[in-house]
Amino acid sequence: MILAMARVRILGPRERLPAVLEQLQDLGLMHLAAPHDLPLLEPVTRSTREERLRHHLSSALEDCATATRLLGATAVGPAAPGMVLPALVHQLRRIRRQAEQLVARVQRLEEEQALLARYEAVFHAFEPLLATQPRWASGRAYHVVLRAGQRESVEKLRAELTALLGPAFEIRSHPLPAEETAVLLLVPEHAAARVEQLLAAGRVSEVSLPAGFAGQTLAQAMPAMLERMRQLPGELSRARREQAELRRRTEPLLRQGSRHCRDRLAVLEARDLSRVTTHAFVLEGWLPADTRPKLRLALDRRFGAEVVLEELGQDEWTAEDAPVVLRNPRLFRPFELLVSLLPLPRYGSIDPTPFMAVFFPMFFGLMMGDVGYALVLLGGGVLLRRRHPEAGWQRSLAEILVACAVFSGLFGLCFGELFGDLGRRWFGLHALWFDREEAVVPFLILAVSLGAVHMLLGLVIGAVNAYHAHRRQAIGRGLTAIMLVLVIVALLASVEVLPRPLLTPVTIVILVSFPLLVVVEGIVAPVEFLSTLGRVLSYSRIMALGTASVMLAVVANRMAGAFGSVLIGVLFALLFHLVNFALGVMSPMIHALRLHYVEFFGNFYSPGGVAYRPFGHWTPPPSRPA
Amino acid sequence: MSFWIPLAAALAVGLPALATAWAQSRIGPAGAAALAEKPELTTTVIIMVAIPETMVVLGFVVAVLIMLRGGA
Repeated sequence: MILAMARVRILGPRERLPAVLEQLQDLGLMHLAAPHDLPLLEPVTRSTREERLRHHLSSALEDCATATRLLGATAVGPAAPGMVLPALVHQLRRIRRQAEQLVARVQRLEEEQALLARYEAVFHAFEPLLATQPRWASGRAYHVVLRAGQRESVEKLRAELTALLGPAFEIRSHPLPAEETAVLLLVPEHAAARVEQLLAAGRVSEVSLPAGFAGQTLAQAMPAMLERMRQLPGELSRARREQAELRRRTEPLLRQGSRHCRDRLAVLEARDLSRVTTHAFVLEGWLPADTRPKLRLALDRRFGAEVVLEELGQDEWTAEDAPVVLRNPRLFRPFELLVSLLPLPRYGSIDPTPFMAVFFPMFFGLMMGDVGYALVLLGGGVLLRRRHPEAGWQRSLAEILVACAVFSGLFGLCFGELFGDLGRRWFGLHALWFDREEAVVPFLILAVSLGAVHMLLGLVIGAVNAYHAHRRQAIGRGLTAIMLVLVIVALLASVEVLPRPLLTPVTIVILVSFPLLVVVEGIVAPVEFLSTLGRVLSYSRIMALGTASVMLAVVANRMAGAFGSVLIGVLFALLFHLVNFALGVMSPMIHALRLHYVEFFGNFYSPGGVAYRPFGHWTPPPSRPA
Repeated sequence: MSFWIPLAAALAVGLPALATAWAQSRIGPAGAAALAEKPELTTTVIIMVAIPETMVVLGFVVAVLIMLRGGA
């Protein structure tokens, strides 16, 4: 349900405004809103000092966030009272700089290490070849890496060089990983230009050295590069240790500083929502109606008669402006997660959570309807619930899965299914209600009937919801609901489930109601009514998915005997059951959601509610599913 | 059972399946593009992708009815 809210106004001497705001922040009850325009009231003007303070707080918060991100620190922790702002701002700026320098150092070293690692294989390949090089001190050396598939180029190069220089050159090659080849080519200085032309024509280029070793030959650079490679791991681990040490040292301050800055900024923002005269201040806001005594008591205790709390009458505010708090019984609360995936309902409308808590697992259970799969799902749900005992979306999801598993198990017993027809074949399990494999038409009738009930419920809720604000719309919804019932009665009478004589009078009533519906809802009414009938038929997906699920399970069981080897058959059957289980969880979940969001909510749901955000101390936002 | 009954059932589920596939092929990329900018729309996009499945679901129901009425 959506909690009843009260709009309250706090009045007091202007000099008490900071203390009142501090008290309200400690209480964390009031969702502040700008007061109504009243004569003589004006917003609080910001002084230069306050502007400076706001700027300092914002930049300190940014420093804090950057340092927390760079150091991988945890941003959530307790607040620390009595922090001194100028010192905090300087400390946070210093920590940010240190963190940035350290992270840049680690990044630079990692990049250097990765770059040199690419040369490692080349070094190992050229090391034995370079032993030849000193004999050619007056010559020119070329260090070349031939790509995969170019290995035969060595012989080609040798033949071309022989033709060009005779025996006055030396060529050595060494295989590299990934089918590359390292080639060392030594030629006399006077032949260098012609050799370079030859290499360019063959599209072969020399090994390029890192920027730090530019201008050196590979032979000259190699010892220094190898030495650097030996030094890098030590330097890197030293830098990482310093980073970890900085995190350990500064993490508490980062947490506390972040909270402190956020809290003080929140006070400044709250102050902007107050209105003042020369001597007094006014604050307005919302709070759950049942928490008014708590606020009154706290203000009386601290300020006595100096500060006055008054409640505004309902004629002074509109429902659209009131923030929304959903509060449901513990059993229904997990399903608030599914409602929260849509925009919040407006204040004064109906919270669909209780209806979702009843129908969602029911639809899911009808589609899955298998004791075996239900047990697996129950195990998964219980495991997830144990891993996430704290309130959050994971716990809600786990509890929803458990509810779905319970309904699936119950319907599984009704349909006599345990991993498809395995229960029937092995344990003599019998359907308590009907067999989904055979009774396709009764299952379809059940699904569409449930759809009709669900849609009727939606239309009735829609009529009740719209009764105060949009009387005409409420009458339209009511008429649609009545016509839907009449259509169902006519259908049942036509197939003689109900007495056939009912058919004619009911058809006449439908024909008479139709123009009435057009008068009330306009020319679109017939289209809307037909779409309502279509939406009822949409519930036949429950039967379609349920039948598909049981058929796939039966096929999986038959696979066990379809192969020559029992082991292969059982493995295939298990794999098929696993796929069917995954489909059996995903599809019913999505389709049950769709039936609610599109079909059911379409009748009454009014999105556009404002979330209730009480002014208080900063807390990390609750995690949400993606 | 005549040749035409299974064919009619196959067409009843096959043609809506093609229509669903075509619709989902349009919604899918649009949804993926939306998710790249607003990951919080994941649930909405999943629902959007599931919406055209109504066609194939109803086609399946009709196919089953054709087969049952045809004496399968």
